[in-house]
Amino acid sequence: MSLQLLFDALSLGGIYAIAALGIALIFGVMKLVNFAHGQFIACAVFALILPSTDAVAALGLGLLPTPLLILAILGFGAGLAMAAEALVFRPLRNASPVALMVGSFALGVALQNLLLVLYGGRPKAISLWAGLGAPVQIGPAEVPLLQLIVIAAVIAILLALGLMLKRSRLGLEMRAAAEDFGMAQLLGVRANHVISGAFALSGALAAVVALVMVAQTGVADVRMGGQIMLIAFIATVVGGMGSLPGAVAAGLAIGAASALLQAGLPDAARPFRDAFLYALVIFVLLFRPQGLFAAAGAKPRV
Amino acid sequence: MAKLGIHDLAVRYGKLTAISDLSFTVAEGERLFISGPNGAGKSSLLGAISGAVRAAHGRIEMDGDILSGLGPERIARRGLSMVPEGRRIFGGLTVRENLMVGTGIRRDRAAVADDLETAFTAFPILRDRANAPAGALSGGQQQMLAIARALMTNPKVMLVDEPSLGLAPKVVDEVYDRLCSLQALRGLTLVIVEQSSTRAARVGGRMILMRGGRIVADGDAAGFAAADLLSEAYFGDPA
Repeated sequence: MSLQLLFDALSLGGIYAIAALGIALIFGVMKLVNFAHGQFIACAVFALILPSTDAVAALGLGLLPTPLLILAILGFGAGLAMAAEALVFRPLRNASPVALMVGSFALGVALQNLLLVLYGGRPKAISLWAGLGAPVQIGPAEVPLLQLIVIAAVIAILLALGLMLKRSRLGLEMRAAAEDFGMAQLLGVRANHVISGAFALSGALAAVVALVMVAQTGVADVRMGGQIMLIAFIATVVGGMGSLPGAVAAGLAIGAASALLQAGLPDAARPFRDAFLYALVIFVLLFRPQGLFAAAGAKPRV
Repeated sequence: MAKLGIHDLAVRYGKLTAISDLSFTVAEGERLFISGPNGAGKSSLLGAISGAVRAAHGRIEMDGDILSGLGPERIARRGLSMVPEGRRIFGGLTVRENLMVGTGIRRDRAAVADDLETAFTAFPILRDRANAPAGALSGGQQQMLAIARALMTNPKVMLVDEPSLGLAPKVVDEVYDRLCSLQALRGLTLVIVEQSSTRAARVGGRMILMRGGRIVADGDAAGFAAADLLSEAYFGDPA
């Protein structure tokens, strides 16, 4: 039972962490809270199916063999985010952070309405990877295969992202730009290159969340981006704005708290699980208003 | 031809004029100190040359090519590098990573490795702390890192803003000592903002004295220090 709970917490928290990372990456380099991130996720879900307002979804990209499908959706997410950066955020580059944030809201609403026009407002069933629900016996616990895959995928993504940030040229430039963009530019780092790269990564992470949500729920819903966006945003705040380890830690913690509350709350209180969860968030922020991890910054020493 | 030419430069922040009608040239391999009281426009001048600050009008040239209006990323590619005020070290990156940030504009991989070796030889402390977070270095070490980091872009012209700020005199001696030997080694053209004209005189070079966004004197730094008791008092400059 407790092992089951651990897997629940890890798989849920892992997805929250991936979603939070998508927001923290962009905040890190351009101090933009991208509220369109949830809609990037929703768009990546709908990219699997053909546009129509029918109740039953006809697969589009979803017909591809799984490895190709994953690549195609990751590419779609990265491309969508890069296009959004070039069309919406680049013209606003030197605007105030508030203007950027409002721009991201506007983009999110525009994307959601585009989905409504193309696909209609009713949730659609998507039947992909039906076999993943099969339980796997691990010691005393029965764990759905999907959960194991999600946990493994999250670990692999975190390692790959960490390696990329630590070892690659783009990673080095992104970390430098996150600390002091002006200084990085004085050293010849190209702002467009770094920001575009951050959006591409963020969009690919949104696509990962989209794939997991489809596999878990089997549904494409125009509204599905909102809930995960809210939790991911909270995770980036709790983690410390712009701190990538913070976003991961807070995403995992919120997932774990959510799973624990789901299991531990009395039946009567269970419908109010999210209220307890957000109360917990407020409690944490009362004690650490700057978040669990303060973002790294150059503190000049004299 | 002058290495660096500034012609009729003006910098304004809203209605506030930081620099007006400023013109001077710097010869290749020269060491030029810019001095003057707070608010004289020294940092604005370096900002305008490096592209970090937009000039209201005027022209900045390097080797006859116009730099003004290019923006810092492209000016860095032309071979002009900056050691900014307050050093602006990437504190969360390691010392080695700080040094590597500026090498993205270079295609000569082997020369980058050579330059890293040169930097480590000039500043052995940076080799010792290569894998430590740069934020853990002392102020003097961070200043040396900032100089080494600027050199890693393989510049022809280097701008240094107040390298002595907040450092003990002995450390300042060391910083200037390294700066001068690196200049000789690399044939660099150096433009250094330095509050103290006595310090500039001791290091040696040409000096421009600024006040209220204009040049009020231009000559050998040693001459300034000798004849300078008056203007030192006049400007209230800490010596």
